[in-house]
Amino acid sequence: MTTTQQPTTLDPDESVSSNTMTRAERLAGLVQRRGSIVVLALVVLIASVSFDAFPTIDNAQNIAIQSSFLAIVALGMTFVIISGGIDLSVGSVYALGGVLAAYGIQFGSLVGLLLPLVVCGAIGLLNGVLVAYGRLAPFIVTLATLLGARGLLLAITDEGSTTRLMDREDWLTQLGQGTFLGLGIPVWITIGLFAVGVVVLQRTRFGHSTLAIGGSREAAALMGLPVARNTMLLYVGSGMLAGLAGALAAAYSASGVTIVGEGLELDAIAAVVIGGTLLTGGAGTVGGTLAGVLLLRVIQNVINQVGTLSSHYQSVVSGAFLAVVVAVQSYLSRAHLRGGKR
Amino acid sequence: MVAFRSLRPVRLAGAAALCATLALSACTKSEDTGGGGGSTPGTGGAQVAQTGAADGPTCDLEQYGAEELDLSNAVVGFSQSEKEANPFRIAETESIKAEAAAVGVKNLLTTNANSQLNKQISDIQDMINKGAQALIVAPLNSDGLEPALDAARAKNIPVITVDRKLNAEPCQDYVSFLGSDFVEQGKRAAQEMAEALGNKGKVAILLGTSGNNVTTDRTNGFVDEMAKIAPDVEIIAQQTGEFARDKGQQVMEQIIQAQPDINGVYAENDEMALGALVALRSAGKVPGQDVQVVSVDGTRGAVQKVVDGEMYAVVESNPRFGPLAFETLQTFLSGEPVQQDIVISDKLYTKENAADEVGNAY
Repeated sequence: MTTTQQPTTLDPDESVSSNTMTRAERLAGLVQRRGSIVVLALVVLIASVSFDAFPTIDNAQNIAIQSSFLAIVALGMTFVIISGGIDLSVGSVYALGGVLAAYGIQFGSLVGLLLPLVVCGAIGLLNGVLVAYGRLAPFIVTLATLLGARGLLLAITDEGSTTRLMDREDWLTQLGQGTFLGLGIPVWITIGLFAVGVVVLQRTRFGHSTLAIGGSREAAALMGLPVARNTMLLYVGSGMLAGLAGALAAAYSASGVTIVGEGLELDAIAAVVIGGTLLTGGAGTVGGTLAGVLLLRVIQNVINQVGTLSSHYQSVVSGAFLAVVVAVQSYLSRAHLRGGKR
Repeated sequence: MVAFRSLRPVRLAGAAALCATLALSACTKSEDTGGGGGSTPGTGGAQVAQTGAADGPTCDLEQYGAEELDLSNAVVGFSQSEKEANPFRIAETESIKAEAAAVGVKNLLTTNANSQLNKQISDIQDMINKGAQALIVAPLNSDGLEPALDAARAKNIPVITVDRKLNAEPCQDYVSFLGSDFVEQGKRAAQEMAEALGNKGKVAILLGTSGNNVTTDRTNGFVDEMAKIAPDVEIIAQQTGEFARDKGQQVMEQIIQAQPDINGVYAENDEMALGALVALRSAGKVPGQDVQVVSVDGTRGAVQKVVDGEMYAVVESNPRFGPLAFETLQTFLSGEPVQQDIVISDKLYTKENAADEVGNAY
């Protein structure tokens, strides 16, 4: 989770060895990377002291399963944002993934699982090709696929009026509803995917290239990194993860509900940014994103704990968090620029 | 390098602008732009169950497997589905809260899923975890709430559903359903429209949001009944106005362009009807004379238009579920059987009664 320094040393202008960093700079970097985890710990601590029903096993299980679907979407988004891009299509792709899983399961459980992965991966591929090779703005490309995927969903569900149900006994449904050691299967899948995500970002060429592309696309290209291929794969991954999350969520509720996923892309972006990933790319952590997702979910839970508070406040609190994080980030990166002459 | 950096704030600003646009468009979809005044539920507007429905299947504590409970000692949870941004949702939530206070419920927990299914699931699970002993749920969708219902089932917590019906087993997944008969609402609207047009004319339908049983039922009820009682009334256009006033206005403008000789408009909710009135007037038509408008809901703004003679009739869809929901819950929790399907008898606002009843509209 500390790979954020990686790309900066690749640029000759930016080769500042760590012992010339001042203590303040190092602290700033630490806050940037670990801030969300510290805030999460604080919120959990305060909530545990304030509400009897908060620090219970039931509640922890609920928060874990409820966070898992957004977390999977946000994992793909983290990589895309680190590379300096954005993927707005994930909300629609998530909904499409769920509907396709419920549609595909009639032809067999494996079809129900693979169909969303293939179709959503293909949408990701379209995004990736247009962004990486077409050099179009990711913002516009993925906005177009956001609309397209929602249209496709409406087309295969009779304008959204057909909700296909999934058989509870089917193993694909159990992938959403089953539990293992007290935690839902989607939670274990999420943990597994995040573990893979950490390794990929920190230990592989692909992860390092992603950070480098986000730091400076031109510099990465000059160094001979496969910028276009790498970028394309990021969008494929994001599409597939969103499709998988949608399929798991459909399995969890045993039905391919058509009205889900609206605005999910914004929640995912919020979680990624709260997690300390720079919206401008080049720096970020997978673990921070997980903390960001949990933070959003815990805020919602705490507001439900109060019980009588209007849930509109949830958006207010989440929005305030986001604003503070972005302000702190921008302050810290400016401090970096001044301090390290970067 | 410098040029590249200078691009970044622009990209950020773009992101912010898009976020704002998305948020705005999401809001305007269901926003009430005034004219509701529904925050004061009149006492005369409480729901009444239809008497004819009292012989349906029932549910009691033993069948459901719950324990006897006194509401004044109970924690009750209410899960609202959509933002309280239109008169129906405002009146519904107000009514539940007011009745909870009136019955003296120890603690009423309220949540709002803001139209997100996953949030409604977690809201219900959170309330159960928080100690809710009975639940009133306004489902966002007929399917997909299974994990929430399972959580309630696991603790034998009775669930009463209101306004939208679940595709689930009554007295097993939930206790009973309270709501209007949307097909019947469509039928009554057709009867009023046929009367208004003298059984002959051209009618346009402003449909609600697609993929929603309220829309389907209100459409089918209207179309089938019209074909039966007034086959000479021709339905020449059916387009969705997504239950929103601005959308209703837009769609109406387009329909008048294409079909200038239209005689009647059936709007599947009041908001769209109010939008359609604006469109009709700006196209030089006089609503109530050239074109007859009938809608469903019974919001104060629309009933006032009936009083003013601009609309022919409004079929009520009563959102004040509080009294009936708590009465059902209390009956059930004291060990008596309750109906699995409790259909509400909705009023009809016409020029005969609108002036007297407008105070009861929400």
